Amino acid sequence: MNAFRCQKLSKSFDGVHAIDGVTLEFPASGITAIIGPNGAGKTTLLNVLTGFLRPKAGRCFLGERETTHLPPHRIARLGVARTFQDLRLIGQVSVLDNVLVARPHQRGERLLPALLRFGVADEEACNRDEAMRWLRFVGLEKKAEDLAGEMSYGQQKLLTLAVCLATEARVLLLDEPVAGVHPEMVSRILCLLRELKKQGKAIVFIEHDMAAVRQVAESVIVMDEGKVIAQGQPAEVLERPEIMEAYVG
Amino acid sequence: MQFVVNGLVTGAAYALVALSFSVVFRVGRFFNFTHAAVFTWAGYFGYLCWTILGLSLWAGALLSVCLSAVLGVLLELSVYMPLHRRRASGVVLLLVSLGLYTIMQNTISMLFGDEIKRLSGNTVAEGLSVWGARATRIQLAIVIICVVVFVAFGILLRLSPFGTRLRAVADDPDLAAIQGVQVHRFRLAASALGSGLAAVVSLLMGLDVGITPTVGLNALMMGVVAVIAGGVDSTPGIFLGGILLGLAQHLGVWKIGTQWQDAIAFAVLILFLVLRPQGFFGKPLRKAAV
Repeated sequence: MNAFRCQKLSKSFDGVHAIDGVTLEFPASGITAIIGPNGAGKTTLLNVLTGFLRPKAGRCFLGERETTHLPPHRIARLGVARTFQDLRLIGQVSVLDNVLVARPHQRGERLLPALLRFGVADEEACNRDEAMRWLRFVGLEKKAEDLAGEMSYGQQKLLTLAVCLATEARVLLLDEPVAGVHPEMVSRILCLLRELKKQGKAIVFIEHDMAAVRQVAESVIVMDEGKVIAQGQPAEVLERPEIMEAYVG
Repeated sequence: MQFVVNGLVTGAAYALVALSFSVVFRVGRFFNFTHAAVFTWAGYFGYLCWTILGLSLWAGALLSVCLSAVLGVLLELSVYMPLHRRRASGVVLLLVSLGLYTIMQNTISMLFGDEIKRLSGNTVAEGLSVWGARATRIQLAIVIICVVVFVAFGILLRLSPFGTRLRAVADDPDLAAIQGVQVHRFRLAASALGSGLAAVVSLLMGLDVGITPTVGLNALMMGVVAVIAGGVDSTPGIFLGGILLGLAQHLGVWKIGTQWQDAIAFAVLILFLVLRPQGFFGKPLRKAAV
């Protein structure tokens, strides 16, 4: 059973092929890393998989459900969550509110129930408990009332993970989850990814930190110039001299 | 004291216009001139309901507010949503809204004429004594409704899932979408809410001083000054911005004459843009520490 698969996926910008005939299958649980040089098409692939970009050709499937032309919020509701390379959070609201936004199926998100308050109090309490559960999971429960924009970079990375998890997604697409954070925070994030794998989540992450890839990834996909040029187990793929030389350094 | 009371009444009206504009602006992320047209149409809906159809005050007001909310939603559905979907720039959206505003305002001129229409009939309202000054019932209603609306809106925005998601869509629509929020639904809700609020203040101002086809643009300009003075993302700031703008205009004319009222407003705008562009309570985003 696959979490996500795409067939002959292509996307170009002004004639430049950002991804070019990519066919991939991601397992239903486990950790897959996507590596490659800047401009290889890794983030574009994530953007197409999550509905932010329409592919020029090809199809995407989540399980048996085709998602090729679905808008981002529909794909999110099917159980796919992602983070962005440039840490996108609602900086001016609290950490807890950031997580609460991601909770699905809230009656109080509609204007009339929000105004009239019919049957929303219990649901809101339940959602708060669930949001706090994920904040505890990433170790940010004491920061719940702080402004998201005032936390450290590493803490914001943890928060983006909690936000993903609050959506009840079973597939997590993470764009450079450990880039730019303190080594201690890297260990903490990798530990959380392992824990999530144990919980049966499918995790796909883009990363330039090869040590992190080696530590947690069960399979590696190498991209260059919009194409998949290698894939397999890290021990095998990352030892290939041509990969090491061209993409890892 | 009369200048202070007049300033508070005008300021409360500006604050309400500013709040209605900020709802539409924050979610749409462009300067929407059609908000001024919806404001104007709301006044003329009131004129139709009360003067032509002869509806009661409350029935006419409710129908006018509903019609204005529907007008705002229809504009969003038919014009802005397709443009947002094509990722049109803010300049394109602004120009489209300016064109639409002109069409909608000209339509009012053709249908109703350019002369002032009184929504309260031809009777002169009796003044009540407030702190030694005089104010009409409508003017007191403007102040009371302003306070009630701001408190209710603050609660809605801060303490409900609707408000949290509305702020999320305003902050980063792409991020909201990836969290499963139906961004287009919140754009529609913001249009309905903003247009409904604009209708409330349009009707109140219409009952106080009457309406003309250009009333919406004048109100919008003052609302924008209040938003900039208060901070676009701060509900208390917008309230304060509106009140201070009203007071500045009325206390200013005490010394320098009524012809300078608009100049005072735009002097306030320029002062804030130069000295404190984030407004009273708007917070500049701090860069996160690594």
